[in-house]
Amino acid sequence: MNVARAFALGAAVAMLAGCAATHRPDVERVATAFATGDPGARCALLAPATRAAVERAGPCTAAIGTAPPDGGRVSETSVWGDNAQVRLSGDTLFLTRIGGGWKVAAAGCTPNGDLPYSCRVEGP
Amino acid sequence: MSGARRALRDNGIGLVFGGLFLLALAGQAVAGQAQYNDQQVAAGAEPVSLLQFVTTSTFAVDVVENWQSEYLQFFLYIFFTVWLVQRGSPESKPVDEAGTETDEEQEVGEHAEADSPAWARHRGWRGVLFSRSLGIVMGAVFALSWFAQSVAGWAAYNAEQLGNRQDPVTWVAYLGEPDFWNRTLQNWQSEMLAVGCMAVFGIYLRQRGSPESKPVGAAHGDTGETG
Repeated sequence: MNVARAFALGAAVAMLAGCAATHRPDVERVATAFATGDPGARCALLAPATRAAVERAGPCTAAIGTAPPDGGRVSETSVWGDNAQVRLSGDTLFLTRIGGGWKVAAAGCTPNGDLPYSCRVEGP
Repeated sequence: MSGARRALRDNGIGLVFGGLFLLALAGQAVAGQAQYNDQQVAAGAEPVSLLQFVTTSTFAVDVVENWQSEYLQFFLYIFFTVWLVQRGSPESKPVDEAGTETDEEQEVGEHAEADSPAWARHRGWRGVLFSRSLGIVMGAVFALSWFAQSVAGWAAYNAEQLGNRQDPVTWVAYLGEPDFWNRTLQNWQSEMLAVGCMAVFGIYLRQRGSPESKPVGAAHGDTGETG
């Protein structure tokens, strides 16, 4: 039974990993484009709710700022369901799947202990 | 009575409860999708269709967390009532018959009848396995569905973590999370309550014609009678 359970766990993890793996390239492509793009490109990659929150303070291109230099190297990616987290050399992003594609839900995120990440750009 | 009508009559319990299960599962999918989309919109994420929702780990964990507790209930009930008794309950054996009983009472080996299942005649591993097959299957389905709950719950938990701007966790770490044990124990408490109530209520209450009840005129102290 221990062998069977280990096999079942391995199969389940492989299945979940396989599902995440199919989205990983798209997630990392969007994250890298956001981390290296100009303000206009970065605004276009924001999730609608996040962009609406950013534009409450003024034009998105002014509020979002420029990307840090050499900030586009992906160090770690986690994809679970319709949400993802990408750690880059210059930032940590949270992404969400919208309309079959991926958009940035939060950016400029830093760890905050057991609390949610503190993010400079985020939605509701 | 035609063959089809006889088949419907002879399989009424399975057919009706199978149908009710499918209706309830469909209703759970609809209600679950509505709740999920409320949370999606509040988090600034995109609502999903019903077909998308029933393929989410959220729906999967909400289904299997209930299955594992039902099969645990059946497993414990089947297994414990070999030895545990409740005087006066239709759910219990007579008080002086606790235990696995004699081969003659259980119609095994040389005591098997002409229409006994084939493996009931065997003394070897076949006889041992068959005589415990109900508990084994219920226990195995419980174990597998609880494991499935842990995996689906882990995936749903991590999706929620990321939606809340928090880090995902490993499967081993999830087994120590309140989310896993809250889902598990909230189901276990209701199952154990239900079995206890069935055993005790049946001492004093009756439902005429039900095999789960003593005969209406049976004494409160009569144990193990049904009908």
